[in-house]
Amino acid sequence: MAKLILLCLKFIILSSAVEAVFEDQVGKFDWRQEYVGKVRFSHFDTHVQSSKKVLLATENNVFAALNTRTGELFWRHVDKTGPEGNIDALLQHGQDVVLVVGNGRLLRSWEINVGGLNWEIVLDSGSFQSACLVGQQDNVKHVAVLKKTVISFHYLSNGHQKWIENLPESETVDYQSVYSDGNGEVYALGIVPHSHIAIVAYSVEDGEIIKQVTMIHSSSIKYAVCVVISQGMLTCVDPLTVSLYMLDLHTESQMTQIPLQAMLVSFATTGEKTVAAVMSPKNKTASSLNLFSAETGRRLLDTTLIFNMDPYGGKPEKLHVQAFLKKDDSVGYRVMVQTEDHTLTFIQQPGRVMWTREEALSDVVTMEMVDLPLTGTQAELEGEFGKKADGLMSMVLKRLSSQLILLQAWIAHLWKLFYDARKPRSQVKNEVTIENLSRDEFNLQKMMVMVTASGKLFGIDSKTGSILWRHYLDNIPSNAAFKLMVQRTTAHFPHPPQCTLLIKDKDTGLATLHVFNPIFGKKSHVSPPALPQPILQSLMLPLMDQDYAKVLLLVDDQYKVSAFPSTKNVLQQLQEMASSIFFYLVDSTQGRLSGYRLRTDLSTELIWEVVIPAEVQKIVSVKGKRPNEHVHSQGRVMGDRSVLYKYLNPNLLAVVTESTDLHQERSFVGILLIDGVTGRIIHEAVQRKARGPVHVVHSENWVVYEYWSTKSRRNEFSVIELYEGMELYNSTVFSSLDRPHAPQVLQQSYIFPSYISTLEATLTEKGITSRHLLIGLPSGGILSLPKMFLDPRRPEIVSEQSREENLIPYAPELLIRTEWFINYNQTVSRVRGIYTAPSGLESTCLVVAYGLDIYQTRVYPSKQFDVLKDDYDYMLISSVLFALFFATMISKRLAEVKLLNRAWR
Amino acid sequence: MHLTALLWVCMQAALVVAWCFTDMETGPGAGVSTQPNGDRFKIEGRAIVPGIKTQDWVSTARILVEGEEYVGFVRTDGSFAVNDVPSGSYVVEVVTPNYRFEPVRVDITSKGKMRARLVNYIKTSEVIRQPYPLQIRASGPHTYFMKRETWGWTDFLMNPMVMMMVLPLLIIVLLPKVVNTNDPEMRKEMEQSMNMLNPNPELPDVSELMTKLFSGSKGSSKAGGSSKGTRPAVKRR
Repeated sequence: MAKLILLCLKFIILSSAVEAVFEDQVGKFDWRQEYVGKVRFSHFDTHVQSSKKVLLATENNVFAALNTRTGELFWRHVDKTGPEGNIDALLQHGQDVVLVVGNGRLLRSWEINVGGLNWEIVLDSGSFQSACLVGQQDNVKHVAVLKKTVISFHYLSNGHQKWIENLPESETVDYQSVYSDGNGEVYALGIVPHSHIAIVAYSVEDGEIIKQVTMIHSSSIKYAVCVVISQGMLTCVDPLTVSLYMLDLHTESQMTQIPLQAMLVSFATTGEKTVAAVMSPKNKTASSLNLFSAETGRRLLDTTLIFNMDPYGGKPEKLHVQAFLKKDDSVGYRVMVQTEDHTLTFIQQPGRVMWTREEALSDVVTMEMVDLPLTGTQAELEGEFGKKADGLMSMVLKRLSSQLILLQAWIAHLWKLFYDARKPRSQVKNEVTIENLSRDEFNLQKMMVMVTASGKLFGIDSKTGSILWRHYLDNIPSNAAFKLMVQRTTAHFPHPPQCTLLIKDKDTGLATLHVFNPIFGKKSHVSPPALPQPILQSLMLPLMDQDYAKVLLLVDDQYKVSAFPSTKNVLQQLQEMASSIFFYLVDSTQGRLSGYRLRTDLSTELIWEVVIPAEVQKIVSVKGKRPNEHVHSQGRVMGDRSVLYKYLNPNLLAVVTESTDLHQERSFVGILLIDGVTGRIIHEAVQRKARGPVHVVHSENWVVYEYWSTKSRRNEFSVIELYEGMELYNSTVFSSLDRPHAPQVLQQSYIFPSYISTLEATLTEKGITSRHLLIGLPSGGILSLPKMFLDPRRPEIVSEQSREENLIPYAPELLIRTEWFINYNQTVSRVRGIYTAPSGLESTCLVVAYGLDIYQTRVYPSKQFDVLKDDYDYMLISSVLFALFFATMISKRLAEVKLLNRAWR
Repeated sequence: MHLTALLWVCMQAALVVAWCFTDMETGPGAGVSTQPNGDRFKIEGRAIVPGIKTQDWVSTARILVEGEEYVGFVRTDGSFAVNDVPSGSYVVEVVTPNYRFEPVRVDITSKGKMRARLVNYIKTSEVIRQPYPLQIRASGPHTYFMKRETWGWTDFLMNPMVMMMVLPLLIIVLLPKVVNTNDPEMRKEMEQSMNMLNPNPELPDVSELMTKLFSGSKGSSKAGGSSKGTRPAVKRR
């Protein structure tokens, strides 16, 4: 019993030793940005005059309400990814919004003030075409949904179906839109390509066909965008002929054509009036917008708005117009311009930008954190060491002068602090700009370089989250894969830092390089080599050229290697090093994993090959270790004071395979640990009755992976740790070619009570701090789970030695404690990746989680042992000091008096 | 008596469950493999946060079935339905950033019979029935934050370090009052004992001196014992 209590106590101590956020730290060093994605539909809420809402439905299956004044989110609903959550239509009436979701599968009605669901119903299957509300202005009671072959009619109040009818001649007629004028009839519009337009009118009451009309039309409005505006006018915009077509559905007259000079057109209705906003290019950097009356096609006066294009952004792609009636009954408008890089810019007349949202950031693919440069003065001091020595005297003078400059800068800083302190707090501007960016004392502030799927690059200040630069790369293929590499850090002062982005078309394998400065975002003057061949693999070498840029090797499909930069110096170094440069290639379709060695003439030779039969299992992922990872201790001290040495093979690869047979009895997940140089299989493990998705972290001497157990229907974590044993074979250098002993392998598995979205491990400067696993959960939380809980040496029976070693007794289930959520209630939706970077403080690891949202914070896996805690009680310590000081003074005085008295006696 | 009755009820409940779900028990996950054209069902229920109006939390709530495999939303009255779910066994969670809800496992037979039970990841086949349609009640707000250690006088005084400092202080102050040091006999005795302990008067050991000062009145024999006691420790080094 006593043992048990002791155990419990220990557990409590251990679990309380893990870091958590304090309430007063909220927002102190963390921030979150919420995004919605590329906008597909938008609707400005107009049912209340003072409404500030715009409703957005996006390609990322998100439905959200934004504040039009600030661009911030009121609320947001994130549906499941993929076609099943796809939003097909958005209709608004009053405070209800009807969405058609999943290719016409679901009909949902939302209450937009609260952001809650009114009702949701399942529709019959069938490919969705169009939907509309049926009724007069303020008396809308029904919603009509048009599918490929049927039209159905639903009550707006509860979603119940009123009637459903088949469409006539649905094999030939391509029904595209549905429209109602509110007088008891619903029209379904169909187009027979290159022939005629078919219109079917249904009775609202019972779905009876009232009349059928066919109309011959002259031109092919095949690519046209059509809307039906009030009074039954069909208005189409044909981007091919750049003109506006008008057709009155009631009079069945011929189409009238109105030519336009425009790039983009959008319609909006306010009150009785329908207008078309037309954007036309003005010059290279700006476009002008004008309003046209949709009834007459005439331009409205005083409606010009200038939109200045971002030189680093994309071209305008879509307009979302908010039209409103001014006091004098003329039409005013604001416009939300959507550009190719998914940016939303909300503009007011005559061109004032109210807010912008960088929706490209909802789809971050990869990122890096780059150290900020030193300030000019600090760099001056550093630069002294780089130059050639020219005499003792001048060196001393130079040092003195630079110290003087530093002193001057410090005094200026103090003066500024003093000056700012006198001003009211609201006036003090602490805006970060590229100019005043500099590294802080502990290197906690860094530049986050983020690459998004749309091809837009961002430079974000990690402290505040403000976007410092953006750069849109056009002509990025839609299925591109990105790899971002830091070739030169900011540490080599006169040379600017340099990042290289490898953009690869997944289909053709052809790649391009984009070289840029990560601090300013500018394209580098270094011209990257043209890559005519498909690229199979890229690797960064620790080699540097004379300008301190790391060498990037690119392997093409002929197994030829090219280097970037490829100066003479580099090639020479490569020739010397060639025999020790190894790399591996993965061909997951054929299940082949092969290792190559570089030859001096930059060709390659095959060293080893492992074939995993592709018909049985497929390679899911191959994970090496992070090159910037440091391991501080070579071993673990056991309870009996002996040392168990870690197997620290930097060339180790963790290969995860999944069975092709997905039957729950026969599916399995396999993990292979292969030495990347020799191809030797170090360890092999198979998890039966398990399937993916598998998440892996490979670090130090351990591999942690997570899979779904089909037998017990739960998620399980498994950890593999590798040890050399009680003796180290060669403690100075690790060589894959000279390791005769196979490592000891320990493995343990645990139950995890949740699904996970992504997995990463913390990383610190020197690797002294204990490690935590950062687990992104579908609920949006990011759990910081101490690696201590995933230790295969956790004993089932507690012994004296295991207690000495601080091992937690084995428990099958890992706990999720909400105190361990590093992002408290700042959930990150659909977290796709977690990036960790060391800071200048050993205790601190910088964390960025990205998905639909971006969240940045710091974690302290072993608490803040190297800085004073932020709740450090200065008052207490100084008051104690003062008290002691006075106590000594007083007692000294008393002692003197006593001595005097004694002397008198 | 009471306990046995309860047990009996439990057993009966288990029996009833077994009887209801005979087609489920063919294997724990028999229904998982689904045909794409198979029947789709609806998981229904209600989420309740006691004491909080529904409109204050529904906009941030989601219903997650098997991770993000199926997603549902909460209606303005707190009820929810997840449509288009094939038969199988699923963990249903109500996810909000601010309130904690317990997950529930829902089993759907191929005929569309539903049952809800407690999630038990260790004993996966254990059945503790929950009401269906689901009634999920929030068990309170999430506790994300640690409490700061607040500073109070009592904490300060009860600190072992402070105790260690204060008690000797008290002894130093009080002991001379209790034992009259002005008594010449006493003083002589003390001095004597001090000399005995300190064979080398030029090198007074402060700590020893202190201990001797406090325990000195009790005689030298004990002091000798303590010095003996330290000897083995020295040897061990």
